[in-house]
Amino acid sequence: MVEIEIFTKNGFKDSRGEHVLSAIAGLGIKGATKVDYAPLYIIGGDISQTEAMTIASELLSDKITEKFEISSKPQSGKSKNSVIEVLYKKGVTDTVAESVVKAIKDLGITKEVKVKTGRKYYIYGNCSQVILDKIAVKLLANALVQEYKIK
Amino acid sequence: MKKVKILILRTAGTNCDYETQAAFELCGATAERVHINSLIENKNKIFEYDVLAFPGGFSYGDDIASGKILANEIKNKLGDKIKKFALRGKPVIGVCNGFQVLVKMGLLPDPKLFEQISTLYYNDSDKFECRWVYLKTEKKVKNESNCIWTKNLPDVITLPVAHGEGKFIPINAKLLEELNKNNQIVFRYSTKDGGTPEYPLAPNGSVERITGICNAKGNVFGLMPHPERYVFALQHPAREGCDGEYGWGKIIFQNAVDFVK
Repeated sequence: MVEIEIFTKNGFKDSRGEHVLSAIAGLGIKGATKVDYAPLYIIGGDISQTEAMTIASELLSDKITEKFEISSKPQSGKSKNSVIEVLYKKGVTDTVAESVVKAIKDLGITKEVKVKTGRKYYIYGNCSQVILDKIAVKLLANALVQEYKIK
Repeated sequence: MKKVKILILRTAGTNCDYETQAAFELCGATAERVHINSLIENKNKIFEYDVLAFPGGFSYGDDIASGKILANEIKNKLGDKIKKFALRGKPVIGVCNGFQVLVKMGLLPDPKLFEQISTLYYNDSDKFECRWVYLKTEKKVKNESNCIWTKNLPDVITLPVAHGEGKFIPINAKLLEELNKNNQIVFRYSTKDGGTPEYPLAPNGSVERITGICNAKGNVFGLMPHPERYVFALQHPAREGCDGEYGWGKIIFQNAVDFVK
């Protein structure tokens, strides 16, 4: 299994991250200074490192504005920020994942793969666990169909 | 007189294909909506047509990024045919989602290179922007656009936009300079009198307010606004037409049909 995270390159506007930061302020929460938004793709199956690179560079990221990170085990989070990871609950249809499976085949990779998609929000500043829970529940995760983890 | 044949490529999520078909047929062409699976099964069918159109919509639900999955599919399954079609000088148009597909597969701005060297990224507002805007048509020295699709247009026209990812960004300053130098920038957002607009008339933060480009030859054209939504004066909120009963969009489609004739 590999996890591929997509980040906006330095110098380009991370509109989604800025939008979330503004919404956090709108909840009356102080302490968050910056939010980086990163779409997350978890790809299961017998995918080689080269194939993961191809999928990340040719399909999942924009060559002009985005960069990617590939990891084979879950990240513990960067030291100066907290991470809220939002994933669909088991049994909820992940339509983007279905599109990604199709697109991986279009790339010429014929191995069977399973894909899950999620969203990661890197939250900088001073936010307690209680505040992070509030941000996740009020803004980032729809509890009916999604679950979240704070790292 | 020759009947001009248009191929309108559609797939899951395409939703402007009927309007695009109607626009071309209004201009005297025969337009067919062809599903991508049908074209993949018979790749050379593309050469039976004179014009190729990538209509607007939300192909594959805009999953990953707008136009990305369709661009990936076309590039890997039809790439050589599409490139050959464009390099033969036949007219190709991509509207909104179609423009995103052209840019992300690399047919624009340079079909010879056929690599992605520019993008259409998330609007600065992080919102879907939907409204009528003004467009300044770029001109060559002899008062003629480089693009075969936009001849006979005045300095400023109006068309509607509707997109969440329309911020045009070239890979570097050198490419931007080349696009300017080669008259490949076709439309920029403007004010009604041709001046520099602020948001919301500049809806997405595009570099140099660019919203339409063509290849150096001028036959491959992509734009974020929807010309197929303004072929009749009645489609304008004030019922204004450019020529009595028609809108500016009709001129764009008519140019391509007349070019083939």
